[in-house]
Amino acid sequence: MELLLWAERRKLRRSKILWIAGFATVMVALIVFAQGQFTFYESRYIDGAGWFMTAAQSLATFYVLPAVIALLGSYMICREEQEDTLKSLRLIPVDEVKLTLSKMVLALVFSVLIYLLLFAITFLVEAVLHFEALSIGLVLGNLKTYLLDGIGVFFAISPIIALVARMKKGYWLALVFAEIYSFAGLFASMSGQLKTVYPMTAVFNISGYYDASMVQVFIGIIVLLACVVLTLFILKGLNRKAK
Amino acid sequence: MLKLIQVEFLKLRRRKFIWLMLLAALFMPLAAVFYFASVKGTGVEPIEFYKWTAFSYTPWIILPVVLGMLCTMLMYNENQYDMLKQLWIVPVNKMAYFFSKFAVVLVYSVCFMLITAAASILTGVLPGYIAFDSGSVLYLLRKCMEISLLTAFAVLPILAAAAAQKGYILPVCLTLVYTFLGFILLMVNMYLHPLSSMTAIVMRDIPGVVITQPLNIPGAFLCIGVWGVASVLLAGAALKKRK
Repeated sequence: MELLLWAERRKLRRSKILWIAGFATVMVALIVFAQGQFTFYESRYIDGAGWFMTAAQSLATFYVLPAVIALLGSYMICREEQEDTLKSLRLIPVDEVKLTLSKMVLALVFSVLIYLLLFAITFLVEAVLHFEALSIGLVLGNLKTYLLDGIGVFFAISPIIALVARMKKGYWLALVFAEIYSFAGLFASMSGQLKTVYPMTAVFNISGYYDASMVQVFIGIIVLLACVVLTLFILKGLNRKAK
Repeated sequence: MLKLIQVEFLKLRRRKFIWLMLLAALFMPLAAVFYFASVKGTGVEPIEFYKWTAFSYTPWIILPVVLGMLCTMLMYNENQYDMLKQLWIVPVNKMAYFFSKFAVVLVYSVCFMLITAAASILTGVLPGYIAFDSGSVLYLLRKCMEISLLTAFAVLPILAAAAAQKGYILPVCLTLVYTFLGFILLMVNMYLHPLSSMTAIVMRDIPGVVITQPLNIPGAFLCIGVWGVASVLLAGAALKKRK
């Protein structure tokens, strides 16, 4: 497994996808910053301490980042088939389930890194704009939210990436599905019960963005675990299919 | 040119994912059913219902994302199987090639919005939320046509970016960022981005919609036109440069 992870990391060296994912994250921060210029009751959104950090993570999670993370994961999986390297790997032989799992572990790491990058950008902007208004509690609270968002969002979309591993050529559908799945969270958040069980909003319950009771957090964890179990279940049939 | 467009449609025959993506048109009508069932109940004004199903997140997010993915798919298709060289040998005019792809996007967009309109009427009339009357149906169809035609022109930059690229990663990320930017700019300045300009044009005569910025329809058309022309020029230059 360690060797597979190392190999996956090496494979990404010459790929532009990490730069593009980074570019998307920076652009999201810029766009939310532009929204911060909106004046509401004679004060701009961006002037409120903590607004940028809070708004960026929620907007990014509803509209952009889950699809980017799904793209990262599905790209790593699909390129083996597309560049015709999967045959050679099967000859070695490499266990396809382990190979896919190592790709998914790497996607999890990138998911966390993308959220941490967004946190770093938003924190720096907040620090430049109003450093004295920021408290340590606020910054650490947001860091926790971003970190848990990164982990949670990956778990929530992991079944989609696993499905791509099964379907190989279905990554387009997966991307559209990932986008609509994350965006549907907006509607799920309108209903108290749906908010608790819908994976995307359950992530917000766990990360602390929504004020959630212990029961809601607990249900959120169970929902995300169910996503992981579903992922493993989908991946289980991979080797059988390959033969 | 007509022959090229016909060939483009023939190429789509076996691509079932493209047809599956049309299912995204049902998302907002279905979301509206749940919303009105839990919040509003029956006896809703038809326009109020259509605002939910067809005039809100469908043109803001869903349609641009789906069209962006379609643009990427159409352009990537030839690259993936290395068909472009053969097309240049035929020879196919590079701009005619680009516009034939655009024709597919335009027709797809119209089909998408027609499905949205049909689903809006069905989900409204069948459960009894709205009464069926020809005036509101014609209004819905006119608005859906406006949305579909304008959005197809508004995603020209994505089609150009996809034409300039060999891969699919950058155009896909651009689609997400571009759509998100258009959505956020609705609140900041509507006349900078084609998608928000499209919304300004569509929203101009929808009753009950409050637009905080002064309505400037020529400005909105100018924005879509400038971006469209720039994209066509960029695509032309990029395709000429590619061997």
